[in-house]
Amino acid sequence: MNPVFRPLRELAEALRARQVSPVELAEAFLRRLETLGPRYNAIVTLTRQRALVEARRAEAEIAAGRWRGPLHGIPYGVKDLLATAGGVPTTWGAAPLRTQTFDFDATAVRRLEQAGAVLVAKLAMVELAGGMGYRQPSASFTGPGISPWGADAWSGGSSSGSGSAVAAGLVPFAIGSETWGSILSPAANCGVSGLRPTYGRVSRHGAMALCWTLDKLGPLALTADDCGLVLDAIAGPDPHDPTAARRPFRYAGGEAVGRRFRFGVIRDVAATAEAAVREAFDRSLETLRQIGTVEEVTIADLPYEAITRTILMAEAASAFEDMIESGAIAGLTAPEDRFTAYARDAILAKDYIKALRLRAFVVREADRVLSGLDALLAPGRPAVAPPLDREFRSAARGNLPDVMGAIGNAAGLPAIAVPNGISDAGLPISLQFMGRAWEENTILAAAQAWQGITDYHLHHPPEVS
Amino acid sequence: MGEPGRHASEVDLRLALVRHRYGGRLSPEQIDDLRRAVEAIVEQAAALGTVRLANSDEPLSRFEPFRSDE
Repeated sequence: MNPVFRPLRELAEALRARQVSPVELAEAFLRRLETLGPRYNAIVTLTRQRALVEARRAEAEIAAGRWRGPLHGIPYGVKDLLATAGGVPTTWGAAPLRTQTFDFDATAVRRLEQAGAVLVAKLAMVELAGGMGYRQPSASFTGPGISPWGADAWSGGSSSGSGSAVAAGLVPFAIGSETWGSILSPAANCGVSGLRPTYGRVSRHGAMALCWTLDKLGPLALTADDCGLVLDAIAGPDPHDPTAARRPFRYAGGEAVGRRFRFGVIRDVAATAEAAVREAFDRSLETLRQIGTVEEVTIADLPYEAITRTILMAEAASAFEDMIESGAIAGLTAPEDRFTAYARDAILAKDYIKALRLRAFVVREADRVLSGLDALLAPGRPAVAPPLDREFRSAARGNLPDVMGAIGNAAGLPAIAVPNGISDAGLPISLQFMGRAWEENTILAAAQAWQGITDYHLHHPPEVS
Repeated sequence: MGEPGRHASEVDLRLALVRHRYGGRLSPEQIDDLRRAVEAIVEQAAALGTVRLANSDEPLSRFEPFRSDE
């Protein structure tokens, strides 16, 4: 069988039925990573040795009838901000940290190993997850992330390689992280599904800290169902991360069948989006009426973006204080990343505390709006992938409106971005479902239902299909 | 963004701190860039100030007393 662009359940079934072996699968995806990965600047390190050890173990276990579940024997990649043992570098995308290593696996990596998944690559990312204020795609020592949908199209960031590797069929799924937009943006620009879980759903132990109160880890994959299967493996409490919630999580796959949903749309949420994105969003609202109701909702007038941005900038300045004060940021790739963070010394403690006080308002307002809904809808991103050689607008920098992202990340809410068509320029457009806290199963069901009545997720970049 | 120059003196004062700490590493072009970044920070703080807070509105961050034996 050709394993490329197969949903996880199909791969799992083929592995369990021994139509394909974990070693064959690992070799096949390692070959694709080697040959196609450089085209998209998607890879930092191939973990061939570890992959083959894990694949051989999976092969023996499956042959002995010890099947661990739907990820057993399935290759995957992780954003290179997750620690991995064994001398494999964990670079955080930053040139000064090219040789950084850890002697332990991040909890998410350890959980995937326990699920029998096979780590084949550490994937490229924007340096320091974009926390230094980058303004253009070329902000990683591995080069600008490129979307498989266009040689001149940015993959999005900061989980750049996690998006492009899934979109190009280099891995069946990948792990990314989001502080503000870093899963949804590459999912949108690369035309794949990307799930940002509720804050605390997945342990951050072993992950680079950008903002302690905003960082989340989550999967990027071909379908919403795939994202659910991966979340099932990585979610849960962790004694090494006090912010990891004690709430148990089990993915309720298949819940979407026959279900009706109640969707909300914040007034004018797509008003500033590009025309192609706005038109696709309007069309999608009509399509979604096949599986539920769509109503306009209003939210309180609060400075959502200023609140989230203040928290992000202040915590990032503290998280990277050593690199900033020592001047080590001068070794970063994007010229603006070499000095822009110095401005963060101008944030007053009072302003940070005020943002944290206002965050309580955001949390309550988001819950009020979402308490009567299954999900809020919005474009996954307000624009298609920008060209590589141009500065882009960014909500985190303050020149792109993103109320959904500001609310969703400040309130720690789950959201999933899924494909919503292709623009006239041949670039993917995305739709997001954002849910109430801890309602991953609800938004996954909605996104799965969406993918049951559309076929956008079945389209793949022409040059790799 | 607010009207240009509305917070000019505030920006100057905060930028002075940045220049004091890092000025030796910065080119004039970079300082111009940082001025714009500090302007944005001051505007952001002003936006936060548009919401009235009560004394009882606590920051949303959790502090827990610690004992190593529990």
